[in-house]
Amino acid sequence: MIEKNVDTFLIVTIILSTLVVIFILFPLVTTIVTSGRDEIRQTLSDHEVLRSLGITFFAAFISMGLGLAGGIPLAYILSRKKFPGKTILEGIINLPLVIPHTAAGIALLMVFGRNGMFGKLFASIGIFFTDHIAGIVVAMLFVGIPFLINASRDAFDLIDPELELVAQTDGASNWQCFWFITLPNAWRAILSGLVMMGARGVSEFGAVAIIAYHPITVPVLIFERFQGFGLQSAQPIAAILIIISLAAFIVIRTLSAKKNGEDDRS
Amino acid sequence: MKKIIRISFILMCLLPCLTGCRPKEKNTVVVFAAGSVITPMKAIEQAFEAENPDIDLQMEYHGSIQVIRHVTELKEPIDVVITADHALIPTLMYAVTNTETNQPYADWYIRFATNHLAVAYTDASRYQDEVNSENWYEVLSRPDVKVGIADPRFDAAGYRSFMVVKLAEEYYGDPDIFFDFFAGEFRSPVKTNDEDGLQVIHIPEIVETKPNSHIIMRGASIQLIALLESGDLDYAFEYESVIAQHDLNLVHLPDQLNMGEAAYQDYYDDVEVRLDFQRFQSVNPVFKGERIGYGITIPTNSSHQEDAERFISYLLGEKGRAIMLEYQHPLFEPAYGNNYDNIPASLKDYVVPEPND
Repeated sequence: MIEKNVDTFLIVTIILSTLVVIFILFPLVTTIVTSGRDEIRQTLSDHEVLRSLGITFFAAFISMGLGLAGGIPLAYILSRKKFPGKTILEGIINLPLVIPHTAAGIALLMVFGRNGMFGKLFASIGIFFTDHIAGIVVAMLFVGIPFLINASRDAFDLIDPELELVAQTDGASNWQCFWFITLPNAWRAILSGLVMMGARGVSEFGAVAIIAYHPITVPVLIFERFQGFGLQSAQPIAAILIIISLAAFIVIRTLSAKKNGEDDRS
Repeated sequence: MKKIIRISFILMCLLPCLTGCRPKEKNTVVVFAAGSVITPMKAIEQAFEAENPDIDLQMEYHGSIQVIRHVTELKEPIDVVITADHALIPTLMYAVTNTETNQPYADWYIRFATNHLAVAYTDASRYQDEVNSENWYEVLSRPDVKVGIADPRFDAAGYRSFMVVKLAEEYYGDPDIFFDFFAGEFRSPVKTNDEDGLQVIHIPEIVETKPNSHIIMRGASIQLIALLESGDLDYAFEYESVIAQHDLNLVHLPDQLNMGEAAYQDYYDDVEVRLDFQRFQSVNPVFKGERIGYGITIPTNSSHQEDAERFISYLLGEKGRAIMLEYQHPLFEPAYGNNYDNIPASLKDYVVPEPND
């Protein structure tokens, strides 16, 4: 009787899981398969598409760099320190995940636009956001950074504070302790958070289209081609972006998994 | 506890039945309209649905060219098409055969309203205290002034704005206006040439402004309003009705330039915009300079012809007209029918044949 129950449980679990996998894979695979090799090849030699790919990944890398610079310290503080309002702060950090990205775009425009406070401030040193690459970067940073902060904080949480304490009693400074103890133990989770952040940035449409429609990123280009020229123009670009994202994910997942194995052995 | 949850769940499921709020069967009529009528159409949608509870209007707004593409290229089931340029309907719908029905996508339209192009600005716009109908082109050309224009590939307001700037050269007697306005602003230049007196503007396939350009472009003129309000734009080419609906300031353009006066047709037709690329499946549209005319039609593949006719009757009838007027977008009375014989009988009351039909 119990055996039977376990079986049905397994079967139901497997069926439901399979449905979800199909649900995710089918549209993506269809987009790639029905695009046709010629169309994809043609699109890959389309100067406009290549330029958009360049802009998109360039902006995503800059936003990831900025994210690391600010997100890691914040994650560290959230993990190690207790202070009043911490729960609220953690909620605020996750806000970009829950608000519509068009709303995020409007919020950013209000602050980084030509008449916004930061917009004016940065204009004095020659950085502009509306229809500039810096606008794309802030949009990507805004919608993506919660992934990095959350992943890093979780990673820091998992590290035994004892380990840091021991290092400190042995005379390591806070800096040394962070660089040689904390970071090496947490980097894998941080990397996967960073990849999530980058992926979110690359795929961002709503916020980017509001603050910086030009220069055209790939998601905006897909939208423009779809709207203006129809499915046939948009589909190969979508297929290419799916393939690139998939490749990037596989590479980074295997990379971090391997390193993890080595870490375990050492 | 479990019991309470279960009972409340059942109650929640039953609630809609108890209150009798189950949605009645409604016919959905899908209306794709030019962005410039979004504000009055919202009011008309509400009023129409209140009077016709059996119809649910589903409105969607885009640049006018986009509106038609949704029918002919994206093959969406659309029941009513409203464009800010009636000429797009013959060019992009009459001339294109729907392979499923072997019919053109449309075989009649009604030209029901006009508009005037103008320059919109706010109290925070740079040089707003000096701009006027005589110097606008000079103020807007200044490098520190940000000007919004709709994308001429997708929106009628876009190619009309380019026409206005070109026409301004003759009107103000300054042959450099277009050049001063646009030269060096785009990654692929917008070129013009003179064909026996006809000024032809060539729009390249890629219309993207350079970084630090004083021009900012969006897919539809209506999308420029938010950028004006946020201060990211100082000026934008918009229709007068839209400017009034958003309480923005405007520079009136002279009748020879605002594209809205029948008496000045001879001025408007000195200019033409061509898309210099072949990406569209069927036709390469040429946009002739002419008086602004809004067009409305029912695509031949609409599956709700009758309901769509009811909506158009409402719009062109007394109540629709009153709402449009309230939103500063008066309708023609009567409207003009192109291919008059094909116009559904229920709509003929509001329409006279197009004069040169």
